[in-house]
Amino acid sequence: MSGEIDRSWRDPELLVKALPSVILQTAFFLAPLLMTVALTFQQTKNYQLQWTWSLFVWTDIFSKGHYWTILGHTLFMAITCVILCLVIAFPVAYALATRVRAYQNHVKVLITFAFLTDATLKTFGWVLFLDKNGAANYLLQQIGFPPAVVDILFTDWATMLGMVYNLLSFAIFTIYLSIDAIDRSLILAAYDAGASKFRAFWEVTLPLARPGIWAASVLIFLLAVGVFLEPKVLGGGKSPMSAELIRQTFETRVNWPLGAALTLVLMTVAVFVVLLFNRVYSLKRHMGPV
Amino acid sequence: MAGEPILEIRDIRKNFGAYQALKGVSLSVKQGEFIALVGPSGCGKTTLLKQIAGFEEPDSGNLSIAGQPMLGVPAAERPTSMVFQKLALFPHMTVAENIGFPLKLRKVDANVIAKRVEAMIELMQLKREYLTRYPRQLSGGEQQRVALARSMISEPKLLLLDEPLSALDVKLKKVLQAELKRLHRSVGVTFVHVTHDLEEAIMLADRICVMRSGEILQVGGPNDIYYRPADTFVAGFIGDTNLIAVDAKGGAVSAPGLSAADPSVPAQYIAPGLTDGPALLMVRPELITPLAAHEQADFILDVTITEVFCKGGTVQFRSIMTNGAPLVFELPGASKQPADIGDRLRLGFPKRDIYLFRERAAA
Repeated sequence: MSGEIDRSWRDPELLVKALPSVILQTAFFLAPLLMTVALTFQQTKNYQLQWTWSLFVWTDIFSKGHYWTILGHTLFMAITCVILCLVIAFPVAYALATRVRAYQNHVKVLITFAFLTDATLKTFGWVLFLDKNGAANYLLQQIGFPPAVVDILFTDWATMLGMVYNLLSFAIFTIYLSIDAIDRSLILAAYDAGASKFRAFWEVTLPLARPGIWAASVLIFLLAVGVFLEPKVLGGGKSPMSAELIRQTFETRVNWPLGAALTLVLMTVAVFVVLLFNRVYSLKRHMGPV
Repeated sequence: MAGEPILEIRDIRKNFGAYQALKGVSLSVKQGEFIALVGPSGCGKTTLLKQIAGFEEPDSGNLSIAGQPMLGVPAAERPTSMVFQKLALFPHMTVAENIGFPLKLRKVDANVIAKRVEAMIELMQLKREYLTRYPRQLSGGEQQRVALARSMISEPKLLLLDEPLSALDVKLKKVLQAELKRLHRSVGVTFVHVTHDLEEAIMLADRICVMRSGEILQVGGPNDIYYRPADTFVAGFIGDTNLIAVDAKGGAVSAPGLSAADPSVPAQYIAPGLTDGPALLMVRPELITPLAAHEQADFILDVTITEVFCKGGTVQFRSIMTNGAPLVFELPGASKQPADIGDRLRLGFPKRDIYLFRERAAA
């Protein structure tokens, strides 16, 4: 395998077999991407797209801090969301895979139902819950709290709450699968070797669950970078994130070249973060647990 | 101290819901012994091993290791070490890390661990370059040796083996059986070996404990189990055997189709406390030989051959006696085949290594 150059692309039979996939990839991935790149070199005038090749949009982006502030805010929100999801999902997944085996399927069905319910609906549900006169404050007042203690609606806190809520099930299921796949006798072997419950968890369960944690992190990061519903509905659009900015640029400002450029920037940064993460992860894997 | 009991099990019971996995098991194992727990699936042998290892707690009974009561002591603090059926090598650790893991948990100095791991590698006859490899990069037999090394590095008082050889192919199994025997001799640790393969148990163990349905049927040396089984289950569990229904009276036997000049069975081949009445006479297939026209034997019977199997070194004949009961016997393969299917034969067997006993009343 290594050292030898793969010449399978010269195999005519293989090329024919790969054709459907190549056509699909080109039509639905490569072509739109190239069009997006091409768009960034155009300009708009009076809401009309002008096919005049120029670097206007790019100089605009690199000269204005505003876009980068939003991008930084988006990354911060996404990474925070990843961390929160992992912190919440891991214990849930661990309990699901190891502790509550009897109710495992019931819990899974409940999570799946929540997951399948439309995100827009759930997000608006949170608005009703978090509103100053909403369900949360009403309940708290009933047990003796002063009125309107929960006052986070239309702040980043509410946005984060919505993001974590909507993305959590991805993390739970991905991590659950990796913990569930761990052979129980490995844990017994750790106890047998003299490990306390904590050591067995730290030395065996956690390292073996790492692929699931990694997959969940990447999945949630990519999804979180692209959220626009939560910042708009729960965050009140006060501090927009990249996806919302892109949507506005396309729809409200009808500035397609700028929208395309912002899309590319977001994509590049997201891919870069994932690659960086990947590198750290594989480094650790090669070193093994310390 | 050699000969001292290292493991004492007193009347251990374990239920899983309504299912009785262990119905009051008592067993004493001496220091340095190689004992095998044998029985079919679901007989409770693995459950018993789990109680010893501390992975499960019995519902009642007592268990002590080297005089120390062990109930309530977690697995991590028991002086036992288990070799798992699926080996349970940590896939994310190298061979060296796997073997050294028990010492690392005991906070042994890293240099000392490295030296001990190397000594174990040598004892297990593994190559040194394997130290930095991961378990999945090793063959089944090598993984087995790594698992053994990991279990023995902490110098346990009891090494518990939970059918570690059952997943291997026959050839490798033989090699590792010899290896286990050698290891047991060289380190002198007490081995408790669980297997469903009685032949393996007879080959390896000093003492064999045959179990069925959560009970111990018989504990004894390989010869006891083979020649003086406690009941038909034990008798039939190892290889083929013949259980001829006879009528016992004052140590003498009689059965239709069975003739003998002196039908008495020597006392050493009679189960203790056997009373007169219907009984079973166990005759191992290799004791039976065909007789020439006027040749005599202690016991003589006539059969008709129904099947002939070549077993490599020996040829096995299945036949029926004149009363219709089956009889199986084996002859060395090199000898001229004396009979074919359908032939009538006159057979004889001697008054030694047979066993007269009665089937235990079902509990």
